[in-house]
Amino acid sequence: MCWVCEKYGNGEKWYLNPENYARRLYKVRKEGREASGADADPQAAGMGAGVVAELVKARISGDLKWEEEIKRDALEHAYQTHFGQVVTLDEYLQILDIAYPLVKMTCGCRRVQRGMPDEENFTCMGIGPGMYKWERWPETYRGGVEFLTPEEAKQWAMMNHKEGRVQTVDVFGTPYIGGLCQCEYPGCVAVRNRLDYDFKFLLKGHTVAKVDREKCTGCKSCLGRCQFKSLNLEVYTNKAYVDMDQCFGCGLCITACPSGAIELLDRESLPGLAENW
Amino acid sequence: MIAQIKINFDLCKDPLLCRRCLSVCPSVVFVCGPTKIWKGRETDPQEYRIFGRYLDKCSGCGDCVKVCPTGAVDLGFLPKEQLAKRYQEERIAQLNERNS
Ligand code: SF4
Ligand code: SF4
Ligand code: SF4
Ligand code: SF4
Ligand code: SF4
Repeated sequence: MCWVCEKYGNGEKWYLNPENYARRLYKVRKEGREASGADADPQAAGMGAGVVAELVKARISGDLKWEEEIKRDALEHAYQTHFGQVVTLDEYLQILDIAYPLVKMTCGCRRVQRGMPDEENFTCMGIGPGMYKWERWPETYRGGVEFLTPEEAKQWAMMNHKEGRVQTVDVFGTPYIGGLCQCEYPGCVAVRNRLDYDFKFLLKGHTVAKVDREKCTGCKSCLGRCQFKSLNLEVYTNKAYVDMDQCFGCGLCITACPSGAIELLDRESLPGLAENW
Repeated sequence: MIAQIKINFDLCKDPLLCRRCLSVCPSVVFVCGPTKIWKGRETDPQEYRIFGRYLDKCSGCGDCVKVCPTGAVDLGFLPKEQLAKRYQEERIAQLNERNS
């Protein structure tokens, strides 16, 4: 179990604990400065990207201590307010039975990094009572929202998984889960910052993929599925290779394997990876 | 060498509508974010601004300059050591300020 489970799991995985979806309805929010148009930093746009411009500077300067300090301070704050974790499709489908209401909405990251028009960009899911008041903050929900039944949401999630997007849960005010995302590298700012700058705003999932080398036929169907640079073909043995140390446990490779040659193991069952979040 | 990208905001007026540099960049160097957040309404597309955020990822291929219809992208390069020195000085100033 990761530290979030220990703190908020109540004996199970934290994102399967219904308490973490049930924040007080219609929390009264103080009239913010935003009412009249507050200044925003356009360079900080995208999921968890507030410090990235500075992180890039630290990276270029070669000052490791600076880089570590930026990450430590930013993550200390993020873990108390806003961060994400990879989940499997099965877990995601379970969550769709716990959380309500469910809305399809635009993906901020892909707009920020690729300028995706909102009408082509409904790959995020907002959840919970906050969705009933989305009109207060339309910028977050550009292009509006589309309410779904749990059954529609499941179909949609399965379609996203099939197309190759990673399922994640996202916290808005720890431990309240307010978003279910369908992410990819490099379009997702959180995935990108984790892989390119080792910024742990996005945590790895509770599972890890392992290739059964006896069963793998080298058919290559799984190649291209991994959004975390963890999967390739060992050409000399003609078998798929998963870098288990790097794997985020999303399960996308498994869905594509016709031979059942990849299994998802519980991270906890692997002493060498149990603390690798 | 590390890229230094400046966007001329007088020429790039509606980045979300145009978005050509965002869409063409093979290294996803650019971001386009809002300069204002309003209650009760969406930020106007004209209130969005483009920046080169992931400058350390830029290959210098020049595609962004080529596709920009208004000539708003100014792409230059500085030696890494020179930039490193500049940022280290910024960092020292930051630390001094914090300790004063
Ligand atoms: S976290 Fe994923 S789905 Fe959510 S806004 Fe970012 S890329 Fe889009
Ligand atoms: S190796 Fe498979 S399970 Fe692991 S991150 Fe890549 S696609 Fe997901
Ligand atoms: S899809 Fe399955 S059998 Fe084919 S290469 Fe990948 S792991 Fe091996
Ligand atoms: S020069 Fe090439 S890599 Fe660099 S920002 Fe422009 S398009 Fe991207
Ligand atoms: S291509 Fe030029 S005009 Fe178009 S968004 Fe980019 S900088 Fe602005």
